[in-house]
Amino acid sequence: MSKNQSHPQQAIGLDVGTSRVVMARRSGEQYAFSSQLNAFVSVPFTRMTENALKRENIPYTAHGTELIVLGNESTRFADLLSVETRRPMTAGTLNPGEKESLSVIRSLIETLNPNAAQEKPQVCFSVPSAPLGADENLTYHEATLRQVLGEMGYQPRSINEGLAVIYSELEDTNYTGIGISCGGGLCNVSLAYLSMPVLSFSIPKAGDFIDTSAAAVTGELATRIRLYKEESFHFNGHFSDKLQQVLAVYYDDMIQALAAAMKEAIGSSRRLPKIGRPVPVVLSGGTTLPQGFRERFEKTLSETEMPLTISEIRIAADPLHTTAKGALVAALTEM
Amino acid sequence: MDAQWKPPGRLERRWLEWRAARIRDPLARLRYLRRTTSAGDVRRRGRRVPQGLLAVFLWAFLFAPGYTVSDPGLWRERRLRLPFAAGIAVPAPDRISNIWLVESRKDSETYSNGLRVETQFGTANEQRAYMIFDQTRPGISEWRSQPAGIVYHTTESHLAPFEEGQNMRLQRLGQWLLEYLRRNQSYHFLIDRFGRVHRVVRETDAANHTGKSVWAEGRWVYVNLNHSFFGVAFESQTRPGQPGDVANQAQIHAARILTDMLRSKYGIAAANCVTHAQVSVSPATMRIANHTDWAEGFPFQELGLPENYAQPLPSMFVFGFGYDSVFLELTPNSIRKSLTLAEDRMRLEATAQGISVADYRAMLRKRYRETVAALPRTDNDKENRDE
Repeated sequence: MSKNQSHPQQAIGLDVGTSRVVMARRSGEQYAFSSQLNAFVSVPFTRMTENALKRENIPYTAHGTELIVLGNESTRFADLLSVETRRPMTAGTLNPGEKESLSVIRSLIETLNPNAAQEKPQVCFSVPSAPLGADENLTYHEATLRQVLGEMGYQPRSINEGLAVIYSELEDTNYTGIGISCGGGLCNVSLAYLSMPVLSFSIPKAGDFIDTSAAAVTGELATRIRLYKEESFHFNGHFSDKLQQVLAVYYDDMIQALAAAMKEAIGSSRRLPKIGRPVPVVLSGGTTLPQGFRERFEKTLSETEMPLTISEIRIAADPLHTTAKGALVAALTEM
Repeated sequence: MDAQWKPPGRLERRWLEWRAARIRDPLARLRYLRRTTSAGDVRRRGRRVPQGLLAVFLWAFLFAPGYTVSDPGLWRERRLRLPFAAGIAVPAPDRISNIWLVESRKDSETYSNGLRVETQFGTANEQRAYMIFDQTRPGISEWRSQPAGIVYHTTESHLAPFEEGQNMRLQRLGQWLLEYLRRNQSYHFLIDRFGRVHRVVRETDAANHTGKSVWAEGRWVYVNLNHSFFGVAFESQTRPGQPGDVANQAQIHAARILTDMLRSKYGIAAANCVTHAQVSVSPATMRIANHTDWAEGFPFQELGLPENYAQPLPSMFVFGFGYDSVFLELTPNSIRKSLTLAEDRMRLEATAQGISVADYRAMLRKRYRETVAALPRTDNDKENRDE
């Protein structure tokens, strides 16, 4: 650090997910998190609406004849207006069909840290892995985020999302094991050995897949399905209503796809080191929150002939913040 | 990911884990691991052999006997006296007081010394039957079906912190481990984190616990101990540098009463209650301690056993196995004594035979190959790869 700098250099972990943008910082010996939903709605511009947004301290931007309501409050507005929220990202990367995607993501990050230009912090941001079997190029997504963050004053580096889970949760196994982040657009999986990523991939079935599939069957809005899913859905016990049953079906579909992809990816890897002991699996992300998810995943995985012996399956200590924390850990080790 | 990345080999991995385990700050540990395992550092990693290791390697290079002399006619032409034809120390009988089965229920057995064995996870394997070899008379062997000893292991499985708040996780991990051990018929007994003794493979059968291994008692040599020795595993991990933490008091107490019961029931000599690291060998490299669980810190005294680390390693003085510098570096105290004793014994024998240590070692190695060739085809040398 230069002696002339007025601010001590900070490290920030940033999880840029399809569903949420989460920022992690170190606060003494603890980690502090702030987040925004990675979504927005546009409402017609009126002075009254703008004043109401200001009064309620709701993040927004004015775009000509529209007001764009950002982040956490967008869901409530979408529900009030019976419209779907708009999403800057889809399937883990920038949404090519959304012209506002970059400006919205930039605004969301600004709401989480308005002082980046002065502090010039080091930031480690999460990027997804390519979907298993697809030859998808993620360079554009990563390079664009890097550029946006650089323009905002950050010193950016990227980290694979699954690896961030490992850095956050697998300290006790010397960062050896499997980290899984089940988010909105993708389930990201990474296998690391002594902190070194050996294998990373994603599958395009995650929270959004469950929401849109259930919405198509029930005729509900995907936004409402998501709200219901996050507030009420659980795996344990008897499913009394149809929506529970539908959600359970698509959750199972996702879990089975995930287990099958793990078997295929690990089984076909030629570079798998001889780890020599069973490895733990850590699950994180908002899609793992329903009660009974771990048990359901464990059951499915035990029925799958995995080429690797698993020592345990556990949910991360703080599933919504795991990736951001892992990214922060990576940023701190770079300082 | 960089295609150039090459995972560290077994010894290097042990070294990395050992070093990493000594770094308490998680960030510093991750920084160390990332630096030493990253793709760009493969060559640098290779150069980062610690000075201590270099010194040991140099010592071994200068003073250890060469391993290249191998005259096929050596044995007969020189009419060499067989090693240990005289002066074999036969351990004094050390039977302990009678311990009997008090009660046998569907899921447990209770013994008169307070031992309770949980049997829900019990499974079968091939029946015990093994050959032992006479050290003094090559070619002479006997078949046995009674267990002759106990090998102690650590499961090296994933462990949760031993805290009340982790109770569910501790139990879940134990359950998973037992299912895994049962599937693989890994040991005869597991002592879990709470000191509960679980039967895995039944006592009449072999378990896949030790793999390639050697031990000797008196004139008899045991080769590949899956059949001849019981496998008793502690749900634990070997932590180099922190030997006191490997087993907790509940586990040690359980190990003691289990050992007492097995010794009482089968008349097992105390000298035959040893650790996996003491018996494990690698025929491919002709080195000892292919597995290093309980290479140090085994609580022999607390189990009512003599300090068996002080016994010279039969794999070295009977069959000429050697060791590498990394192993020596990683096991600072316990087994070193037995290595020295074994080497001294070998040197004495070579001198008595009037040949160099290298020639003598070559002869012993030839003897090992002949012994292994004499083993029945059904010999079970499967092992736990996780340790």
